[in-house]
Amino acid sequence: MFDGYFLFRRKKAWFLLQNSPQLVHASQLKISKAGLRAFQKVGHFIKPTTRLIQSFGRHATKGTCQVDEKQFKALLRGEEIPVDFQLAKGYVMLTLGTNRILGLGFFHNHAIRSQLPQKELTSHVMI
Amino acid sequence: MPLFEQYHAIIPDFSRFQQSLHNPLPVHLRVNRLLITPQRLKEYLAKKDVHVKQVLSPHDTLYVAPGLESPGNLLEYYLGYIHPQALTSALAAIALSPEPGAYLLDMCAAPGGKSAHCAELMNNTGLVVANDLYAMRHMALGHTLSRLGVLNAVMTAYQAQQFPLRQRFDYVLADVPCSGEGRFRKTRADAQFREHKGGVKLTDLQRRIILRGFDLLKPGGEMLYSTCTYNPDENESVVHYLLQKRPATLCPIQVTADVEPGILKWRDQRYDQRLSRAERFYPHRIDSVGFFMARIIKE
Repeated sequence: MFDGYFLFRRKKAWFLLQNSPQLVHASQLKISKAGLRAFQKVGHFIKPTTRLIQSFGRHATKGTCQVDEKQFKALLRGEEIPVDFQLAKGYVMLTLGTNRILGLGFFHNHAIRSQLPQKELTSHVMI
Repeated sequence: MPLFEQYHAIIPDFSRFQQSLHNPLPVHLRVNRLLITPQRLKEYLAKKDVHVKQVLSPHDTLYVAPGLESPGNLLEYYLGYIHPQALTSALAAIALSPEPGAYLLDMCAAPGGKSAHCAELMNNTGLVVANDLYAMRHMALGHTLSRLGVLNAVMTAYQAQQFPLRQRFDYVLADVPCSGEGRFRKTRADAQFREHKGGVKLTDLQRRIILRGFDLLKPGGEMLYSTCTYNPDENESVVHYLLQKRPATLCPIQVTADVEPGILKWRDQRYDQRLSRAERFYPHRIDSVGFFMARIIKE
């Protein structure tokens, strides 16, 4: 799936950039940021970013959790939502209904807590 | 003196133009095809009683959202499905129409709406160099590009008029700093009106940027010069300067909208006849931000 992309590390984050013949020319420029921040290291985990998940999550075949509006609002309030998964502790992709990819949750002890960006998803959000 | 009276002779239906300044700017949305189809987006919005209408018949990603006050609060904004953008700003990328796989420079890119739109038209292929001098504006630029799922862009922080000449681009977008007259509406108490701001310094900067933008084009490359002002000194005069200094060609702009051609005379100045191929967008015709565009080709 990531054929055709460059993944490169900068400090504790990895960035994903579409490969193209023009990159040879652009490498002569002083670049302040390249591509999409795709992963970052959080403790022992390599955590995908919300924006990576929203761009590529449609290809996910496991580790996904579909929530309804009520559960989504609970996550936004900072509450955990109980789920019955046979998964190891770690990140899961959250979708609202089948198609709208929200970002990540963290699964542990039969519950998911939000890893969605709080600054961008305020209580004013129109779901 | 009524606002913009100095343009009475060049703005058609001037009384209607002035009346239009009393109306609030409508909320326009651009659908981001990288993450959603227009049809599906309309269905999601309709469920929350937001009924959008397509504004220009051939462009099925451009909509007006009557009654919607804060598009940034929509879940669809967070999801990167929409970008609130003045209709005329959205038409800039469409006027340039970069091909997939191209190499494009946006000289003054922040806050990133046009760069992201170009990336979308290129279907996330090729490479977009989104340049903006000010580091403080890079946060907004980076946020826009990532929220909209742009994967083919890099950011730089050069002065636009001194962008390095080591390489050449297929497309250059020069949406230059301007007096911003086209953004003015009388309905906003905090409206920024810079009728006399900038003056000679601003036009000098615009001239240097348009020359550099042209010099950065490959042979056959295309540049779009745009501003959101009515002032001919920042529009036709700047393009006229380019035509005098460089072997540039002006081409018609392929957007379907109610526009006026560029003017050929302003006060004691006469401009190159080819300026009639530039386009002026007025709020009483298109109900958006006043705008100017010129599409330039390097033969």
